[in-house]
Amino acid sequence: MSIKIGIPRALLYYEFYPLWITFFELLGAEVVISSRTNKQIVESGVQHTVDEACIPVKLFHGHVVDLRDKVDYIFVPRLRSICKGEYICPKFCGLPEMVRHSIKDLPTLIDITIDCIKSNRDLKNAVFAAGNFLTEDRDLITTAFQTAYIAYKEHKMILKKQLFPPFKRKKIMVLGHPYTLYDSYLNMDLLQKLEACDTSILTPEMLPKPVISHYAQNFDGQLYWSFAKKLIGTVLYLKDTKSVDGVIYISTFGCGVDSVVAHLVEKIIRRDTTLPFMLITLDEHTGEAGINTRIEAFIDMLKWRDSDENHISSHG
Amino acid sequence: MHKMKKCYLGIDVGSVSTNIVAMDEEDMVLESLYLRTQGNPIQVLKQGFIILKERLADTVEVVGVGVTGSGRQLAATLLGADIVKNEITAHGIAALHFVPDVQTIIEIGGQDSKLILLRNQIIYDFAMNTVCAAGTGSFLDRQAERIGIPIEEFGALALQSTTPVRIAGRCAVFAESDMIHKQQLGHHREDIIGGLCEALARNFLSNLGKGKELKSPILFQGGVAANVGIKQAFEKLLGCDIIIPPHAAVMGAVGACLLAKEAVRKTNCTHFTGFDAAVSDYTVKSFECSHCPNICEVVEFHRDSALVARWGDKCGRFSSTKIKTSPTEDELAQ
Repeated sequence: MSIKIGIPRALLYYEFYPLWITFFELLGAEVVISSRTNKQIVESGVQHTVDEACIPVKLFHGHVVDLRDKVDYIFVPRLRSICKGEYICPKFCGLPEMVRHSIKDLPTLIDITIDCIKSNRDLKNAVFAAGNFLTEDRDLITTAFQTAYIAYKEHKMILKKQLFPPFKRKKIMVLGHPYTLYDSYLNMDLLQKLEACDTSILTPEMLPKPVISHYAQNFDGQLYWSFAKKLIGTVLYLKDTKSVDGVIYISTFGCGVDSVVAHLVEKIIRRDTTLPFMLITLDEHTGEAGINTRIEAFIDMLKWRDSDENHISSHG
Repeated sequence: MHKMKKCYLGIDVGSVSTNIVAMDEEDMVLESLYLRTQGNPIQVLKQGFIILKERLADTVEVVGVGVTGSGRQLAATLLGADIVKNEITAHGIAALHFVPDVQTIIEIGGQDSKLILLRNQIIYDFAMNTVCAAGTGSFLDRQAERIGIPIEEFGALALQSTTPVRIAGRCAVFAESDMIHKQQLGHHREDIIGGLCEALARNFLSNLGKGKELKSPILFQGGVAANVGIKQAFEKLLGCDIIIPPHAAVMGAVGACLLAKEAVRKTNCTHFTGFDAAVSDYTVKSFECSHCPNICEVVEFHRDSALVARWGDKCGRFSSTKIKTSPTEDELAQ
């Protein structure tokens, strides 16, 4: 019987899942992904996490609980840095400790450290450390990682193809971390709701990384957070290309990175563009009235502006 | 028989108040009702329509209905609406109607506060309060009750303040403990209330107005606009006059009326179920669906004993199924 490895469907799962799943499967494991976020996961997450954590970290705990009795190992990487010279949110560094001390009766955690702050070479050790939970064969691990990396890149390519989706009336850039954008329970189906209003969606995930890096260089200051670089690079790209009709930033209550980045993004948009901008802050509340009102009003605003412009052009 | 006057109804079902406005073809307000929702929107809507029926049913013909507010879906189901709009658009439309060159709207209601910016007569930008309800009507209500003065006198008392005390306005809990502390120190009631009004206005501007240009003319509407203390605090902070439009407390409903007029102009018919909607008996039942781990709270809405609508489920299992006139045994068992 093969070894079961559980991956919580939370946080950077949304960025790296093709890589992680392919890697463990090629090493002979059966990969079990936790259920999609649901009320039970939210409740157990809130119950099992230190109070001051943000909702995405709480959800991560809920997903770990969901996997607890189903698998032999749970993959909880300690992510310090995923790109040379850049850090990510500090909560990701302490994730294995937070999980271990908050949730009882856990299976063994695969808590390898991924730290590329100095160079990508350190990544190799992390890959072997993860692989060693399943095999001692270094060649097998290397091949598995290479194949998994290709799978990850291919997945990225598919996302980029959505850059020019079928024509719709309005294009909206939805900014935020992948785990808030793509967890439709957390964001109350925001993307689907927007699409239902005859708009097409663009996310930072759909922009090629070199494009984002290129524009991020124009930023006056050092961007040492990977998430910040991605979002600010995207906004500077929008500023130059004027490729959307409006920008919505989804943040979660208590997010440290967003407390700086959301403000910078808003500042750039308001100072250098005329694009409508809206910040939506998510937390544990389940009432959808607030978010629906904001979306409807935002779409009304876009369309109203549009009809106003048409009005002017047709009359003179 | 005299000719029936055509009229439009606008209904704004908010968290604290439910407002109903009737307007004629010339946009004159015929009736306006401001009722406390008191956590029971259905009962309040019924009550409102009993009053309206008495005052209007013999003289007017309702040709269009618009609904807005956080309870808009409920109101639409109950009364049959021609347009269901969010509060921001409704408030913007209403403000433009009274002051066509309005550039800024401050709207403070029961649980929401909104800042709406307009340029060239279109909504240009808006912001709504996020997780905290500090500075909204329900917080003021609570404080008035705690100090033991009617909310209607709250604003007038604030005007009597000579040296308003400094109160933390960032959070309702902190503001309250600050107020209690100042009371224990022996400050005058007027100064504490005056200080609270300033704290709320300051909180509104730093929270919603951050990075935004608030240009004159500025309108102040929503239930809290009746509070002269808050109005004065805004004027002091912004250094310009603030206009309180007519019908400020029911502006959302006025906007809904105007939107209804626009909507039926295209369709020429109304979905209004009639004033008798009020006479029907409404019951709401709710249950927890156990079909998946989301355990949604599904609400079932019945008119007289017939099921008319269901909502609250994430998957659409209940809300999207066509309602039959009488539910089957099977459905009731779920």
